[in-house]
Amino acid sequence: MRKSYFIVGAFGLSMLLNACEKKVEIQLPYEGDKIVVNSLIQPDSVVYIRVTRSVPSKVFDDAGYKDIPDAAVSLTANGVSLPLQLQTIKGLSYYVSGEKAVLGQQYRVAVTAPGLKPVTGTDTLVAAPLANAATAQRNSNRVQFTLKDRAASADYYRIRIYRTDAGSGQVTFLLFRLDPAFNNNLVDFFSKGNYNSLIMSDERFNGKPVNFVLQTADPLTGDGDITVEVSALTRSSYLYFNTLAAQKESGNALVGNPARVFTNITDGYGIVGGINTKRMTFKIE
Amino acid sequence: MSLALKLLTGIFILCFPLQAFGWDWQTKVTVVVKDQPLEVVCGILEKEYGIHFSYSRELVNLSRKVTLTAHQQRLKKLLDELFSPDDIRFTRVGEQIVLLPAERSTRTISGYIKDASSGENLIGATVYAPALKQGTTTNQYGFFSLTTVKDTNSLVVSYVGYQPHLQRVPDKGDHLLNVTLQPLGSLKEVVISAKENSKLQEQTQMSKVKLNASEVQSMPRLLGEVDVMRTLQSLPGVSGGSDGAGGLYVRGGGPDQNLVLIDGTPVFNFSHFFGVYSLLNANVVKTTDLYKGAFPARFGGRISSVVDIAMKEGDMKEYHGDASIGLIAAKFNIEGPIVKDKTSFMLSARRSYPDLLLNAALQSDNSLGVGGDFQAYFYDVNAKVNHIFSPKDRVFLSFYRGEDNLSIKQTVDDSTYVHNPGQYLGESSKFQLGWGNTIAAIRWNHIYGPRLFSNISLNFSQYEFFTEYEHKYVLPTSGEKSDMYGTYNSVMTNSGGRIDFDFRPNPRHSVRFGAITTMHNFKPGNASFEDKDSPVTPLDTLDASLRVRGLELSLYAEDDWQIKPDLFASIGVHASGFLVEGRFYYSLQPRLGLRYVLPRNWAVKAAYTHMNQYIHLLSSNGNTLPTDIWVPSTQRVAPLFSKQIALGVGKTSSNLKYEFTLEGYYKSMSNMIENKETNGIISPLGSRWDENVTVGKGWSYGAEVMLQKKKGSTTGWIGYTLSWSERRFPGINNGEIYPYKYDHRHDIEFVLVQQLGRHWEFSASWHFNSGTPITLPVASYAGGGNASPWDPSPGTPGVDRFDNWNNYRGQAVHRMDVGITWNKQKKRWSRSWNLSVFNVYNRKNPFLYLISEDAEAQKRYLSKLTILPILPSITYSIKF
Repeated sequence: MRKSYFIVGAFGLSMLLNACEKKVEIQLPYEGDKIVVNSLIQPDSVVYIRVTRSVPSKVFDDAGYKDIPDAAVSLTANGVSLPLQLQTIKGLSYYVSGEKAVLGQQYRVAVTAPGLKPVTGTDTLVAAPLANAATAQRNSNRVQFTLKDRAASADYYRIRIYRTDAGSGQVTFLLFRLDPAFNNNLVDFFSKGNYNSLIMSDERFNGKPVNFVLQTADPLTGDGDITVEVSALTRSSYLYFNTLAAQKESGNALVGNPARVFTNITDGYGIVGGINTKRMTFKIE
Repeated sequence: MSLALKLLTGIFILCFPLQAFGWDWQTKVTVVVKDQPLEVVCGILEKEYGIHFSYSRELVNLSRKVTLTAHQQRLKKLLDELFSPDDIRFTRVGEQIVLLPAERSTRTISGYIKDASSGENLIGATVYAPALKQGTTTNQYGFFSLTTVKDTNSLVVSYVGYQPHLQRVPDKGDHLLNVTLQPLGSLKEVVISAKENSKLQEQTQMSKVKLNASEVQSMPRLLGEVDVMRTLQSLPGVSGGSDGAGGLYVRGGGPDQNLVLIDGTPVFNFSHFFGVYSLLNANVVKTTDLYKGAFPARFGGRISSVVDIAMKEGDMKEYHGDASIGLIAAKFNIEGPIVKDKTSFMLSARRSYPDLLLNAALQSDNSLGVGGDFQAYFYDVNAKVNHIFSPKDRVFLSFYRGEDNLSIKQTVDDSTYVHNPGQYLGESSKFQLGWGNTIAAIRWNHIYGPRLFSNISLNFSQYEFFTEYEHKYVLPTSGEKSDMYGTYNSVMTNSGGRIDFDFRPNPRHSVRFGAITTMHNFKPGNASFEDKDSPVTPLDTLDASLRVRGLELSLYAEDDWQIKPDLFASIGVHASGFLVEGRFYYSLQPRLGLRYVLPRNWAVKAAYTHMNQYIHLLSSNGNTLPTDIWVPSTQRVAPLFSKQIALGVGKTSSNLKYEFTLEGYYKSMSNMIENKETNGIISPLGSRWDENVTVGKGWSYGAEVMLQKKKGSTTGWIGYTLSWSERRFPGINNGEIYPYKYDHRHDIEFVLVQQLGRHWEFSASWHFNSGTPITLPVASYAGGGNASPWDPSPGTPGVDRFDNWNNYRGQAVHRMDVGITWNKQKKRWSRSWNLSVFNVYNRKNPFLYLISEDAEAQKRYLSKLTILPILPSITYSIKF
């Protein structure tokens, strides 16, 4: 919240004092090419591994990042090697396992490529979240669901909402926040910030059943399906999504301390993390 | 006799010792001894030059050992140096020198030095006995005490900007005097000039800069406002924040490490308008002392600097006032006697006004809806009453209240909802944000005797940040209503008292001692929230607010001591303790200073000080904001602690025109805090702040040089700072040392004030600092979001890789400001126009940096946001 005050103050000042933005002729530094591994592993699903190469920050790549064509990728589950097949899905290359991931096993991804330092990433999987009873009322901006947290463990979650158009089937992710009355800490209330995902730990509701109330930026109108997606995360996945959200929230301004995104890829970047997503799809009442 | 024999005879006669023909006071003698009693020196003079000494061993002690190297020195001077430390008098009786003990008739002359026209006490005025070459200066309350061991008939009292005054003193006994000085007529004839009169080589204090009111008033203005903080930022060793934003960063310390005192009362947030202006109207400031190191023992509680601001007391003789209007603010100040020569008052107020114009514009085009309102302003009010009960007793009452406020009230009554059922109906919102300080103090100055002065004060200081938000709407088709209202505030209060004694036992010692007690009340993060029409059950009902009370106690003593004629020491200790939540912290802080006067009146100075700070400022992401909250030390986060060593030389020219200082320093800072990691959106309400920070260390070192011209039609200074400031925190930057965000390697300041005849004054300042460290990404890469590429996705995010903190330096910052003032003195009043141009050559200095994207060119690049272009301003003032 305080950062947003800073931004308000800075831009208030800039409005008042006729600010201007100007390009600076400073070359952005680059620490060299590294292997990037991204694989979020869902139990009872095949494993998708994307392997790319890092680029200098001056590169604007909205089409995804370059593959490493001659990379050697291996996947093991509890030390047992799993066969992988290279597939192109929606224009991007993925290494896809032949077998489905199994809860309780540890997965390790290792990648080597000529001229680049070999990298590895390891994580376990996580049980499905105990979420249900998702509802929303037409023309309202509240979406509710129930989440029963497990008492024995530290649990981490990601929540997203999307809408599927009845006619075209097109999916639109909604901007939302925790209902301020539910969250009870005023941060969302003051900042009026809306996000397309919420990352949280269970510190405030460990072991309790909680009726979550989300508030969408715009009231829910029209036809179509609404899906509330609740994902249980491992700690690595949580740290990754949490720090990534912090980096996105800080925007383009290099103000204050840098938001470093967590990675568990040794000598490289990216994430190998466990995730277990539950989707609750319903029609608006 | 041959010619050769004549020459030899002549040479022999010339070389024959003069003592063979007697001696006088001008006789030149040569004596070299090492660690010998005075008695031996007398013996050498007797043997070599036939000078006989007569004295009684019972009355005169010549056992003190001396080391002496005197070549061809006049006898009188040598004897003066030999005997004066032991107060031995000597006189010639026939061919003998008779030694006698000094007559121990000490007397003390004390009192106040005041401005003759206003009765205002003068701080730092010099009181000097020329015959004895002894002197002193008035303390921060205008009091002086001069104890002499010999009789004196007259004192010279002087002060820059005032006519020197020869004060006759009655022959014998102690005396309490009130000396008044007549101000010299000048452009600033009603401005109290408080330039320090004593020379740098006569002060053991180092790392201190005194700013007088006229220096602050002469600086070029930003949008018409003169400002104390901006003037402090133009001194060597002091940095400001980002261009335009304020904050004081002294010798590599943080903005929370400055003890800002207004008439002795500490202030928590010293700025208005997100740090652009100081909280004080500069017109009511009498003097500002900045201590960057070598902290006197009487100060404590912050580790990097002390800013000691003395406000005007109010004219005891006549009513005076001034009023001015600039581009940002309008203000007035009035002062005068309530009872002439007994009681005076001072009242001043200031308010920024652009929001009044903006609100009128918004109202006229109904931009904010029915009942809408916009306010964005700061104001401050100062009041002071000063009463003289007796020549020995004086009481001051002072009050300050200042606040920044932003308030937006908006209503939207959208009648299109019939066609668009998703629209809100009757939506209204109100947002208010503000912060401010309240300060109150009562002080009693009492003179116990000619050598003992005291100040007893009770003070109160409160800083509050508050914000409230209200939002109402109806979703007509679903019938859903919302009526939300929430507030958040943080309050930090200090209340306490202090007693300070100023004791001048003899000319070689100037002793101060006292006690300080402060009750800290911390109430950060008080939140209340309700949604009247909401059926939603809150996640939890944890009380987010923290209530902590802490008691700080300090005792101090310091002595300015003349050890030898050329060697001086300032020896002090500050002992403090802090009781909070059942824990007790304490510290014993030595404060040592040394001064040695070299030939040609150069003073070499050294200082070693420890400072402790029991409260911490919690900032968000390293930015200083009004929302920052003060918290006490905890079990995990121990009190801040600094050690500083400084070494330097200083000299004021004999005509008091020029001052030169060169200082080097090294400072270490422990128990500093930094945010550990980014907190989640749903961070636990009850979590303790100290679990979210990491505790680390900092170091800063460097050198500062300053050449100042203090008198004449051209005044100003040139300052240069070469400095390093570093930090290290576990868990941050891989535990490695990184440069502090305001680590400016080079800093140059140039200030010029030029009087142009009777009516005009020109001023210019130029500032340069090398680039500020920034953290740039070192790579970018693809992010991940879903387990399967077939799942719905909002897109694949790109991720920036940040590695070492502050791994790059931004552009150098430089700027020139100029101002010109025209002043016309009428019979009873004067008026002035000031035209200032801020950033006269329109340098585009960075306020912050951004990573910008150009989708067309498929490129990202670094850009800077500039907020302060060339800004001319005009101010009109009247004084009466």
